[in-house]
Amino acid sequence: MAQHAITLTINGEWEQVVVPSQMTLLQMLREKLARTGTKNGCMAGECGACTVLLNGEPVNSCMVLAVECDGMHIVTVEGLMQDGVLDPVQHTIIEHGGVQCGFCTPGILISARALIDRNPDPSEDEIREALVGNLCRCTGYLRIVDAVKDAAALSRQAATL
Amino acid sequence: MTIETDISHKIPHPIGDNVPRVDAREKVIGSALFADDLQFGPGLLYARIKRSTLPHAYIKRIDTSRARQLPGVKAVVTGEDYPGLIGLYLQDRYIFCRERVRYVGDPVAGVAAISEEIAEKALDLIEVEYEPLPGVFDPEFGASPEAPVLHPDLGQYEVANFIFPEPGSNISNHFRVRKGDVEAAWVQCDAIVEHKYRSISQSDVQVIAPYVGGGFGCKAGVSMEALAVAIAWKLRGRPVKLRLTREEEFYASFVRQGVVAHFKMGCDKDGRLLAMENKFFWDGGAYTEYGVNITRAAGYSSSGPYDVPNMKTDSYCVYTNHPVGGPMRGFGMPEMHAGLEQCIDELAYAIHMDPVQFRKINCIKTGSTLITGMTMHPTGLTECLVKAAEAIGWGRKDPPSAPNKRRGKGIALMWKAPAMPPNAGSSAKVALNEDGTVTVSVGGQEIGQGSFTIAAQIAAAALGVPVETVRVASPLDTNYSPYEWQTVASRLTWSMGNAVSAAARDARQQILEMVAKAWNEKPEDLDIIDGKVISYRSEESIPLKNIVIYGISLPNNEGWVGGPVLGRGTFMPTYVTGLDAETGQGPRAVVHYTVGAQAVEVEVDTDTGKVEVIRGVAAFDVGKAINPDMVKAQMEGGFVQGLSTALFESLQLKEGILQNPSFVDYRIATSADVPHNIQAIIVETPQDDGPWGARGIGEHAMVPTIPAIANAIYDAIGIRVGAPPYTSEKVYLAMLDAGLIEE
Amino acid sequence: MTINAHPELPEFDYIRPATLEEASRFLSDHAGEARPLLGGTDIFVRMRDGFWHDKYLVDVKNLDGTDNLHFHPTAGLTIGAGVNMNRVMTMLEVQQYYPVLAEACRSVASYQLRTRATIVGNLCNASPAGDTIGACMLYDGVLKVHGVDGYRDEPLKTFFLGPGKTVLKPGDIATAIQLPRPPAGSTGTYIKLGRNTWSDLSIVGVTALGSREPASASGYSFHVALASVAPVPLEVPAVHSYLSENNITPEAFIEAARLAQQACNPIDDVRGSARYRKAMVKKLTEKALLITLDRLEGRE
Ligand SMILES: Cc1cc2nc3c(=O)[nH]c(=O)nc-3n(C[C@H](O)[C@H](O)[C@H](O)COP(=O)(O)OP(=O)(O)OC[C@H]3O[C@@H](n4cnc5c(N)ncnc54)[C@H](O)[C@@H]3O)c2cc1C
Ligand code: FES
Ligand code: FES
Repeated sequence: MAQHAITLTINGEWEQVVVPSQMTLLQMLREKLARTGTKNGCMAGECGACTVLLNGEPVNSCMVLAVECDGMHIVTVEGLMQDGVLDPVQHTIIEHGGVQCGFCTPGILISARALIDRNPDPSEDEIREALVGNLCRCTGYLRIVDAVKDAAALSRQAATL
Repeated sequence: MTIETDISHKIPHPIGDNVPRVDAREKVIGSALFADDLQFGPGLLYARIKRSTLPHAYIKRIDTSRARQLPGVKAVVTGEDYPGLIGLYLQDRYIFCRERVRYVGDPVAGVAAISEEIAEKALDLIEVEYEPLPGVFDPEFGASPEAPVLHPDLGQYEVANFIFPEPGSNISNHFRVRKGDVEAAWVQCDAIVEHKYRSISQSDVQVIAPYVGGGFGCKAGVSMEALAVAIAWKLRGRPVKLRLTREEEFYASFVRQGVVAHFKMGCDKDGRLLAMENKFFWDGGAYTEYGVNITRAAGYSSSGPYDVPNMKTDSYCVYTNHPVGGPMRGFGMPEMHAGLEQCIDELAYAIHMDPVQFRKINCIKTGSTLITGMTMHPTGLTECLVKAAEAIGWGRKDPPSAPNKRRGKGIALMWKAPAMPPNAGSSAKVALNEDGTVTVSVGGQEIGQGSFTIAAQIAAAALGVPVETVRVASPLDTNYSPYEWQTVASRLTWSMGNAVSAAARDARQQILEMVAKAWNEKPEDLDIIDGKVISYRSEESIPLKNIVIYGISLPNNEGWVGGPVLGRGTFMPTYVTGLDAETGQGPRAVVHYTVGAQAVEVEVDTDTGKVEVIRGVAAFDVGKAINPDMVKAQMEGGFVQGLSTALFESLQLKEGILQNPSFVDYRIATSADVPHNIQAIIVETPQDDGPWGARGIGEHAMVPTIPAIANAIYDAIGIRVGAPPYTSEKVYLAMLDAGLIEE
Repeated sequence: MTINAHPELPEFDYIRPATLEEASRFLSDHAGEARPLLGGTDIFVRMRDGFWHDKYLVDVKNLDGTDNLHFHPTAGLTIGAGVNMNRVMTMLEVQQYYPVLAEACRSVASYQLRTRATIVGNLCNASPAGDTIGACMLYDGVLKVHGVDGYRDEPLKTFFLGPGKTVLKPGDIATAIQLPRPPAGSTGTYIKLGRNTWSDLSIVGVTALGSREPASASGYSFHVALASVAPVPLEVPAVHSYLSENNITPEAFIEAARLAQQACNPIDDVRGSARYRKAMVKKLTEKALLITLDRLEGRE
């Protein structure tokens, strides 16, 4: 069983980790580093609970090998808050009541952040399309979609300040 | 029994306020711990389960010797180790199979090892030899005398006194209702409709790994927990983690029971329902320890929310070689209403009456005599119906968005009572802290439904403190948390809420008495408002801070009064009666019914058969919305879960083997499949024994969705498509077969 | 997808060779127990489900230019094997000259999955349901393949042998898919019928591509390819000949759709029945041709 020493940043901090070939990024985060904010809902790329940013783009971390992330930058839900201030997506999802059991929330927040980063003013349909890879059993999605719309507006405001 | 009147005649803050969820922040920053997030250090062992590959077979031999010799394996257990039967209402299952297996996925052996990989390898080394037996894959056949008997020992199983198995058959519960004279009533009917529905093939929804437990049903009762405990038992002192794969969860945790339902109902020419005769064959799966009570709940609610003078119901729970049926949001109600509410539409059409008008005439009203003989408590069902119909624009036909589309509207009613033992109780503690903040301890779980927020609101209101100063002790721990029967049945706001309210009032009384003594006043002249004790007589005031721990010193060094304040409260309904085994009659079958209505507008694409729900309305009578925004969130979320079940979800079983055990082919609704607009309407007819009149709303929110959509599809294309899900394919082929479209 | 799915991926060795030569040699030396890895979105699922048991996964992303995405005004588009679908569908020249490919990419799974999933992986996986395959075929795609004997070209028209089977041999690595520049003004559509609005695998997929063709009797050239209705991704030449020879009318599209229906050979599976699939091939082919014509005429 080949082991690989890799170096990467997680939420801005450099980490050195030794991982076996078959370890997924998700497993590394959860099992090896006990960063459990990112969730495991299917291990098959279907549910989106494991979504993280890899070099700024969202990926299903269950569909990426840890060893493939050597030298890369990872952002997880734990990394969204900056200096104790919630990211707009975190703030608005609370405001809109878009959190129930909370299991899908970490992945949804990452997908939402990534969407706003690439498209600062998404339409409702664009938001829905960007979230189809994040299943939510509880909320029915409507409040989440509204929250993302508001978060985009807040993010645009912040950018123009 | 009215418990809040001693506090105030008007409703105190923050009852009825949209208080933000107390658990939201930790959930959005990723620090909320779910079960699989807990850390146990390097001593942790990993369990995996060897499962039956056949739907029904004798176990001839299990050889675990090679698995035991694999380095890293710490324990191997089989049915040999645990001879006892378990089960909630009917003890019909072993933790690990003994003698025979009854569904694909039945646990045969368990392994604990130092890694999941080694545990997996050990499973491959366990040899199991089976002798296949014929299976039962249809509940109606299963109930017939020709079917092979799956549980020959049914007569010896321990069973709750309100469950009636028929030993020697596969019927593990037969619930009957006999009210009035159905045969005589048919003669008086001007219209009778009769239908057989396969309401919902079995379906399963994932309880997603819990925060501290919970979800939509498959975590209720004891299922996979017993496996983990049984394995850990052999390894005293070492933590063992059992984690099901998503695939395993699909076939090895509780699934919604399928049902074959026969409805016959008749009315006179004025549209008055005169009689109903219903027969349900529930597909209970291999074990029905929990499912038997779904059969019962569907039985005593089998009229739907209608006033039916003559009623005959037979509700059978039937063993099959399918995955184990159990609770799933709605507890039998979505399945039953799916057929019933379509039949009601049919009956209305049979006498050329508008379905809304027909429902107005016949729906349950305050004081109606229910089919079990119980008298209906104050209820706002008519208001729900009227408001839902109005909001959807009932009677107005809007043009479709494209020439190849057809539009329709549908409506359905629902009712549901908490299905639980008559004496399911709750308890709570309310402790005050040095800084005047409040800690509420409960045993009911936060599973996303908002129970912690509700507990905080109720405690704040009953005590008289700002809700921001109330904390709910979590995670729950049976070592410290007070008793709660179960986090199921949408009962926490009502039952646990009463316990919290009682505990807060107890604490409040202690505080008032202490201050009264110190100030030489009467407790009746004192009040707690916004975290301060005030006197209406002397107009003095003192913050709770400090006094709730250290008491108050008396003047002139005369000593102290008071001390740490700790309130206790409990609640248990005492008035639910038994029901006669032959007739289902009894004075009070249930604690109460939450009722509601949903209306939808759909568009059917005649090119592909795709059904799109373009608008939804939900109106439910919740008694009192403690937190209106969270009530609406339940209504929306439930609507979408109902939509998902109606359009996408089904476990596809072939001879007991699941064809789609993953999200790849068990599709659920995504963000792009839901309507842009779901209007949630709150109706409030207070419940006499609910906190500030509150009743539960949770499961209810998806109960009427399937029939509302089915009725809307009928309105659009004039076809009853059959059993849900109403996939594009099913709808298309139904249109084709009916000659509505050409290929 | 099976009830025997493992909790995690089974053991294997991850290999990152320095050059394509090294990679091809390794793959051919370990024939039967090694496979090339791009996004892994097919591989990981098959391995976790217990269908594939490779000892080695050989990462061929970022090898000798497999990460390049390049448009040349005359030569056309070169999509390196390692280029993910989101990158392809957001490239301006792709949207302008290969709009059907962009539309096909957009229909695949979810945004986050497409950050990993590649078009070359979709092609090499050779699933009849592969959503981007039809577009690549109709744009006359040629795979650039590096084997133990060096480079060669594999046209897609002869690439697929059966479900999951291609002409590739051990040691072969597809390094890029090349799509020549399509005729000016060519356009089309990809219609994917899934169970959900987005994100599902297709029950039926129809790719249509059209352009004006002065040399044909009808003045047009239309091509259609079908997904999920045959053992391999299916191009239907009969549609092309019929619509080249006959006047372009709504009736001609219906007849062409019937020809497509005749050409397909679907099966019953969990996603849909053969009967429904056949019916949908006809409906959706007609619809795809109508949309294509509208787009050609600038009506949309
Ligand atoms: C959740 C989920 C949803 C999906 N939805 C869709 C969908 O909607 N539509 C769709 O078409 N597909 C879908 N797929 C399948 C998959 O994502 C696509 O087929 C994808 O394009 C594969 O690309 P990849 O880079 O991940 O390939 P990989 O998994 O890396 O490889 C795929 C196959 O090609 C071989 N291969 C890889 N690289 C090379 C090479 N350079 N030369 C030769 N052979 C090679 C591999 O050995 C393997 O056999 C889905 C998958 C998942 C997990
Ligand atoms: S865990 Fe990765 S998508 Fe579900
Ligand atoms: S909040 Fe429970 S899954 Fe989304």
